[in-house]
Amino acid sequence: MTASTYHGAAETIHGLLLYKGAEADVVRGEWQGLDAVYKIRKPLKYRLPVIDEAIRRQRTVREAEMIRSAKDAGVPSPFLYCVDVPTSTLVMEFVRGERVKDLVERLSQEKMADTFFEFGQGAARLHAAGMMHGDLTTANLVRRDGTLVFIDFGLSIRTTRLEDHAVDLRLIKETLFGAHAEAAEPALEALLRGYTSVAGPGRSRAVQKQLHSIERRGRYARII
Amino acid sequence: MRGYILGVESTAHTFSVSVVSSDGRILSNAKSVYKPPEGSGIHPFEASQSHLAAAPGVLAEAVDRSGVPLGDLSAISYAMGPGLGPCLRVGAVVARTLAASLGVPLVPVNHAVGHIELGCLLTGAKDPVVLLVSGGHTMILAYSGGRWRVLGESLDLTLGQLLDQFGRHHGLASPCGRAIEEAASTSTSYLRLPYAVKGNDVSFSGLLTASKLLLDGGRSFSEVSYSVQETAFAMVAEVTERALAFTGKKEVMVVGGVAANRRLSGMMSEMAERHGASVAMPPIEYSGDCGAQIAWTGWLAYKSDIKVPIEDSQVLQSWRLDRVDIPWRS
Repeated sequence: MTASTYHGAAETIHGLLLYKGAEADVVRGEWQGLDAVYKIRKPLKYRLPVIDEAIRRQRTVREAEMIRSAKDAGVPSPFLYCVDVPTSTLVMEFVRGERVKDLVERLSQEKMADTFFEFGQGAARLHAAGMMHGDLTTANLVRRDGTLVFIDFGLSIRTTRLEDHAVDLRLIKETLFGAHAEAAEPALEALLRGYTSVAGPGRSRAVQKQLHSIERRGRYARII
Repeated sequence: MRGYILGVESTAHTFSVSVVSSDGRILSNAKSVYKPPEGSGIHPFEASQSHLAAAPGVLAEAVDRSGVPLGDLSAISYAMGPGLGPCLRVGAVVARTLAASLGVPLVPVNHAVGHIELGCLLTGAKDPVVLLVSGGHTMILAYSGGRWRVLGESLDLTLGQLLDQFGRHHGLASPCGRAIEEAASTSTSYLRLPYAVKGNDVSFSGLLTASKLLLDGGRSFSEVSYSVQETAFAMVAEVTERALAFTGKKEVMVVGGVAANRRLSGMMSEMAERHGASVAMPPIEYSGDCGAQIAWTGWLAYKSDIKVPIEDSQVLQSWRLDRVDIPWRS
């Protein structure tokens, strides 16, 4: 972590750079005396400004809406303190806890099954509320005491399409096999059980079937 | 283990033979590239006929240039897939014949793994996030647990197909990448095109349709080329950046035919800089399809005791990269 100075949300903040993501820098600081994170979508130099500005603005506004909608759906998400569109900055609650990505290695089999079951439930609740998270990786889940908090709604959209919900599950699967290959099979199994417990067997089967169909579209996938 | 290996590549438009040494020296890399008529793409049968005609000359050139007597070869490797069936079979026949007549093992190589391993050899990359962009692939990969894992990919067209199909619509012959890059470099007028990033995957089909419509509507080839490049490359750079941020790795390597594009490599450098990561790009001569990728990867596989009896040495038109065990990296 490095100390940084950022110009955002109509004030200069001094804080710790927590995470330099692909899309945004996440800086820990203070907002009105509260422990906060600033999510600042800085211009990406490699993109043309005309492409870049539209994407940053659109994703910032949408993310704010989606964070609120997740709560309505019963999925824990951070509290939003401030939305500053000109600097494409969101100020929100700092979620005190540990990312599931960093936890996975240390979890017992039982705890891991519980965590991924809950992950699957949350995903299904978002889908049932007509949303797609868009970036469901283990880095975007924080274990805080007893609850699993979903963060980073930067790619979330409002959608009831089977295809979009299946894309959500596909990313989870890609991440599991990509970053946690050893734990992937049981984790995925627990996740799908959690998903089915909320979505119901019919919808869950339909989404998984669609997921399979997406995977077959991948280049050189074996068509069985 | 020391020695020499000969590798045969024939998955698509390129028929190429190369000899490499166990210490990673590329002693020869002869090739013949099939050129389709203007306005069209690779016809698999026509390409295979071109490969058949070129094979004896390319093979002789590769062996002569290497200075390695045939009797000193430890093994023969060939691209078993993925690729176009008729083309793959030409390379397989050449490789089987050589292995049988020399009495040495035959080593099957996955063409895409070949791009990655040759890239690592030439650039010194150790544990990179790989962007593989060609006519056959658009994938973001990282090594983990014995295999190259796919962290993101195109859900429809590959980046190479996007450029080729767009170029062909304008009347060019595949591969069109270089002509598009040249045309794009003369424009700075951006026309809005669909930017489709879904999770960690990209989709180019809408972008292709929209760019064809712009050409049909009278927009110049250079301004549409510029807009296609800026949009498609930014999408690819974004998902690569996401994979880099997620894995926390410190190297990015770009391989495959489209890696030769300077705008793409420029974008990748700017992206990687933000994360304090380095960018590795193999020399242009080796970024596209070539025998060296099959020979070098064949050597790594041969050292790990991977070989196939001649009677089982089939070709696999569909052979996904993440289904290939990579024992030499574990």
